[in-house]
Amino acid sequence: MYPILILLIVLLIYGVAYILYGKRLLERKIVKADPSRLTPAYEKFDGVDYVPANKYVLYGHHFASIAGAGPIIGPATALAWGWFLPLLWVLFGNIFIGAVHDYTAIMASVRHGGVSIMTISENVMGRKARYIFLAYVWFALVLVLAAFLSVASGIYADIPTAATLAILYMPIALLFGILVYKVGINVKLATLISLILVVVGIAYSFYAPTYLTYEGWVIVLALYSIIAAALPVWYLLQPRDYLNAYLLWSFVLLAIIAPLLLPVIRFTGPPIVNFVAKGGVIGAPSGSPPAGADIAWFWPTVPLTIACGALSGFHSVVGSGTTSKQLSNELDALLVGYGGMLTEGAVSSLAVILPAALVWDFAAIAQSAGLSTDLLLKAGLNITATPNILRLGAAPRFYTAYGFAQALAWSRLFGVEVFPQLFVGFRTFAAWALTSFVLTTLDTSNRLARFAWVEMFDWLKARKPTIHKLITNRWIASIIPVVLGAVMAYPSLPDPIDPTRVIRAYSIIWPAFAGTNQLLAALALLTSTLWVYAVLKVKGASSFLMLIPAMFLWVTVTLALIIWLIYVVPYLPGLYIAGTGTIVAISVALDFLLIVLFARGLKAARIK
Amino acid sequence: MKTKEVLGVIITVIAVILILYELLYVNLTVGSIGKKGAITSDAVLIASGFLLILIGPWLWLGEVPVAIRKFIEAKTGKKL
Repeated sequence: MYPILILLIVLLIYGVAYILYGKRLLERKIVKADPSRLTPAYEKFDGVDYVPANKYVLYGHHFASIAGAGPIIGPATALAWGWFLPLLWVLFGNIFIGAVHDYTAIMASVRHGGVSIMTISENVMGRKARYIFLAYVWFALVLVLAAFLSVASGIYADIPTAATLAILYMPIALLFGILVYKVGINVKLATLISLILVVVGIAYSFYAPTYLTYEGWVIVLALYSIIAAALPVWYLLQPRDYLNAYLLWSFVLLAIIAPLLLPVIRFTGPPIVNFVAKGGVIGAPSGSPPAGADIAWFWPTVPLTIACGALSGFHSVVGSGTTSKQLSNELDALLVGYGGMLTEGAVSSLAVILPAALVWDFAAIAQSAGLSTDLLLKAGLNITATPNILRLGAAPRFYTAYGFAQALAWSRLFGVEVFPQLFVGFRTFAAWALTSFVLTTLDTSNRLARFAWVEMFDWLKARKPTIHKLITNRWIASIIPVVLGAVMAYPSLPDPIDPTRVIRAYSIIWPAFAGTNQLLAALALLTSTLWVYAVLKVKGASSFLMLIPAMFLWVTVTLALIIWLIYVVPYLPGLYIAGTGTIVAISVALDFLLIVLFARGLKAARIK
Repeated sequence: MKTKEVLGVIITVIAVILILYELLYVNLTVGSIGKKGAITSDAVLIASGFLLILIGPWLWLGEVPVAIRKFIEAKTGKKL
């Protein structure tokens, strides 16, 4: 199989899906988007959270927020099944579930004054569903904050040049916002100035490492997260994410160009390795007995591995949180929501799976590309010690495959002797692309936690207005989740599975996130489906196009979580069972409760 | 100028000085900012600059740019 063929097939599928499934079906037939209807960004404009944004700026924000490490690490881990099965799931999940889920969450929120999908659930599933859903999401966001505080602090402590770049990037983004909004200069000129500064910043960062300990970074980033989440969106979030979009597109465009420069080199990886993989693939902590057992059946466990690249519950919270409050025209939602999700799928399929399939067997690819072992050794690749891509961890799998494919492609133009330098350069670029969205996700998560918190206490507004005003104050509502997240990210303890290893406290419950996040996706899609059916009154075949994927996802995720509870949890040490096990068990119980509420809502809508 | 704006200007100037001092003086003379595995004064200074630069211009320039405010008023017909 040739990479160029897969590239063309993937691009064609995405193009057709965007026009036929997204535009014609979702936008025109189901949601009936209307450009003349005022969006919450205008109707509830407050200058902080409700601020209309240019559609490309919003696309950048939405994408940068939904794309943490998920679209990269998930598919890289899923290569344990081969390259074809993960690619199939990314394409299928992306088009029929993930992008539909993201788009409808945005539009449902826009039609309800910019409130979250959790609050919308009250209209179709009752008040109980709403508060369960809000509390569930708020705790999940605290966990995300803990994880991202820890991941970002670890990255900056380990890669001090990345820390310098992050420090330089913020003032450049602020400058862009000030130039456009305050000075009033042309967006194109402001973009040019900012991008030149970013390039200079990247180059300078290479020679200016900033050293701080992990614990030091946790404190700095916790403070950053509080400040950034409370600041007006036009001031930091919109300009920063707009500039981020350029980095993202350079990353994806390079992934598209590489196969075009390698028209005759074939994939060296197997399309399917096996339909069942080891437990580590579905997040069983390394070293535990299930991590090495054959329990990860491709279906139904694949959503526990590949999240963001195909579908993720976190996206509905972003879509109905920050994105819906900034949408300036209902027609923009397709590009932002559906298009944003397809772009994330393109990252997974074209920038992760395709390069990995190409360079899978290092000896084979070296032979077909005419690269000598010495040249590979110069690039730091010992193919005797590491014969194939599966010998590497998930993140290095991605850096290596992306760097290798790019170096191979560009060495066709610049000569094979520069392969080692190109490989090292592109591998570093890939690592930076992975880390560049970490800060965005960190402060967006905190902003979303603030929204969920405010919506959770709206019942207090009429009864105790003073207390309501105090606890929903934007600074207080930003501080609470970050402090809780930092408390879980800061301390370390010996890993109960392998006491020679030290882990951060949040790691005890983090393995539960993969499942709870996908459960959230299923519940959000069910809510949107019911919204389409009961509120928009879309009946017949069109409604089944949402109901069937929603039910399929619910069944898949529920089965995957049950497998997790049966095969993984009992073998974990007590501390993990108390943390992760309890969360997954509670999630499954809530899952069944909410499906009952969904069935009742559906029944009530049919009677009406 | 209001007190808030003056405070914003002061914070912005301090933040810019801290960042430039660490990047252009300390880094060029020492070769890095801070020391591996330690919390040094240089690391604290640049981290403070990083956080202060987020707050300073915001206090200085105010919450809603006039351009956005006027645009919203024209679109909604409501006076903000």
